[in-house]
Amino acid sequence: MRLNRRKFLVTSAAASTVLGAPAILRAQPSEYVVAASLPLTGPFATAGQLVAPALRMFEALTNQDGGIGGVPIRVTAEDSGYIPANALANYQRALATEENLVMYFGDSTGFMKLVAPELRGENARLMGSTSFASELADPASNPYQYLPGPSYEDQFDILLNQIKDEGGSTVAFIHSNTEFGRDPLAHGRATAEELGLRIVLEEATREQGADIPTHVTQLAQSGADYAILQGYVTGVWPQLIGGARQFGLPTRFMGTFWGMENAIADRVTDEAGPILDGYSGVMPYKYFYDPERGPAYERFAAFQKEAFAGSPLENYMPTWGLQALFSLQIGLEALRRVADKGLELTADNAAEALAELQDWDTGGFFGKPVSMVDNKIGTGRVYQYSAETKLFSPTSDWFTV
Amino acid sequence: MITGNLKSSYAADEQVLDNRWKRGFLLACLAGLAAIAAFGNNYVILIACQMGIMLIAVTGVNVVIGYTGLMSLGHAAFVAIGAYAVVIFHNTAGAWLPDSVATVVAIPVAVAVSALIGVIVGLPSLRVKGLYLAVATLSANFIVIFLIEQDVFAPWTGGMNGINTPAPNLLGWEMDTRREQFVLIAALAVLSLLAAQNLFRTRVGRAFIAIRDRDYSAEILGISLYRYKLMSFAISAAYCGLAGALFAYFYARILPEQFELDLSLMLVAAIIVGGMGRTMGPVFGVIVIVMVPEVITVLFGAIAGGGAELAQIRAPIQEIAFGALIVGFLLFEPFGITHITDRALRALNRWPFARG
Repeated sequence: MRLNRRKFLVTSAAASTVLGAPAILRAQPSEYVVAASLPLTGPFATAGQLVAPALRMFEALTNQDGGIGGVPIRVTAEDSGYIPANALANYQRALATEENLVMYFGDSTGFMKLVAPELRGENARLMGSTSFASELADPASNPYQYLPGPSYEDQFDILLNQIKDEGGSTVAFIHSNTEFGRDPLAHGRATAEELGLRIVLEEATREQGADIPTHVTQLAQSGADYAILQGYVTGVWPQLIGGARQFGLPTRFMGTFWGMENAIADRVTDEAGPILDGYSGVMPYKYFYDPERGPAYERFAAFQKEAFAGSPLENYMPTWGLQALFSLQIGLEALRRVADKGLELTADNAAEALAELQDWDTGGFFGKPVSMVDNKIGTGRVYQYSAETKLFSPTSDWFTV
Repeated sequence: MITGNLKSSYAADEQVLDNRWKRGFLLACLAGLAAIAAFGNNYVILIACQMGIMLIAVTGVNVVIGYTGLMSLGHAAFVAIGAYAVVIFHNTAGAWLPDSVATVVAIPVAVAVSALIGVIVGLPSLRVKGLYLAVATLSANFIVIFLIEQDVFAPWTGGMNGINTPAPNLLGWEMDTRREQFVLIAALAVLSLLAAQNLFRTRVGRAFIAIRDRDYSAEILGISLYRYKLMSFAISAAYCGLAGALFAYFYARILPEQFELDLSLMLVAAIIVGGMGRTMGPVFGVIVIVMVPEVITVLFGAIAGGGAELAQIRAPIQEIAFGALIVGFLLFEPFGITHITDRALRALNRWPFARG
């Protein structure tokens, strides 16, 4: 082949592209992507639809603060209908189509358990979620998934100890027929045995649209002093309590995080009367209306007043939104620390940075600095609902399990 | 009138793929599958594997509903049995076998167990037909899931919390990536589709079709309804068991809530939309039921952007679009997509004389 001018120019252009390519690749990405799977349709659609704007707020506020290491973030969300296989497809789609995916937000205990064995190598990303399942807080086998609060097992321990302190002797576990509902039951049984409490009923119901009279009858027949409700978000728990009160049962009801939303309790009180008075449970964070709310909540309130005017989120952020915001905040903090150290934003580096979140001031989500131990933050409070004030008020100090 | 399909030997006449168009179509499909395996990204491989597994299950459902005319709404039970049989086998007897052999033995075991349970579930078909049989088979789904979830069986099935599944190991080839599993799933899907097509050229297949057309006439002609109805259930359960076995190998963990009534109804919907009683029915059905929702998601995501707030509005619209598609199909083409392709191919064959 004779080397003429055209061939020389073409070859040198190709060569410079090849030589220059690594330099182009090593340049900083234009944005980082945080993808989420939310139950925008299906049994928990109410909660999902309220969390979606909170993600937009997270994106806006994070970018106001300079993103991660100066690079802005973009938050995307897909619907899963609360079906784990759909959430898995959403995760794979995000992995395949988004460059620079740094963090994922899962939407169910079922999805987190389904995806856990697949988080290896190239397919691993830092993964927060709506789940407080204890199985996920296992850095040895599952370093990329974390809990933004105490696990359901811890929450059951707190409640069972509370029952013991108040002098109760019989407990009923009423739960939804999902991974979310069943997660802490085995541990709850063991703790109850240790404390000398008798579990007189374990009742599985549908997570939405359950047959209330049947379950209330079972509860009445068991004669339990206390009942712990697990696995409900927007419904079933108020109806169960209302049904029990109508029946005339003196049972005291307690719940875990997802059944502690003030908006639901207020609506029930408005429409059905003070049936929820005395309902208590574990909630890891401060409520949005807490008189001593910190700078983080103030910032959210200012943004919400402007951006969400005319919607239910104008003056209030439900606990579901707070959970999503805090879960993403944890991931963001870990990623920022990795970026500050000048390391690449890989899942392994982020997982290591998670363990370094010790005595961290979250800006007002909790009443004191918290630490990430074994991929969970074991801090929270017990709250009780009062139908008079229509608020959940704390009945314990900030505990750390 | 089709001309030119001439054969000069009995062997050539008996072939399944007897003209070059059919052979060409199969080769094109195989080439397409190979291209997906080589060049598809992880998301495409995930959807393709899900489609392959569903295809095998829907082929089984086609055998019992499409060809034998026995309505069954409980076939997700056999998928569950296949999946759990594989896991239980690996945890019990398979522990004594070397890894490379365990998979090769587990899959036939799962298929056999499903077929056996299929015979039991098929017993109501000897007494009732139509809607009553649909309800009777519905119970199979609930009974199987109920048994899987019981604490008594939890040491074997993992109970309500599900159980982790092993990766398939085909005589030393450890398939721990989705791409490798896709090769296995695609191969088995093609083979099972060809096997189903061949089944209906044999005496057994013709007996099934006779039962569908009028079962008492078939009995008068000497076809033992007892034998052939149960055989139909056994064969369809075997196909679903194979799909379940691949399902277990594909997902890292199986949960009993993945095999509930939704899956049974999805299988029946797929075969109705695709076309009952035709080889390509399961293929079109699976494309509509599995691929189209993902295509809608990707399209809407591309048009509207992925922002969280837009997803709020997009999500219900996606569901409505999919539902409208199914309803539209049933209104305008109740015989399924195979009927549409029939008319299209016939028109193509007669062109230019088919116009008008």
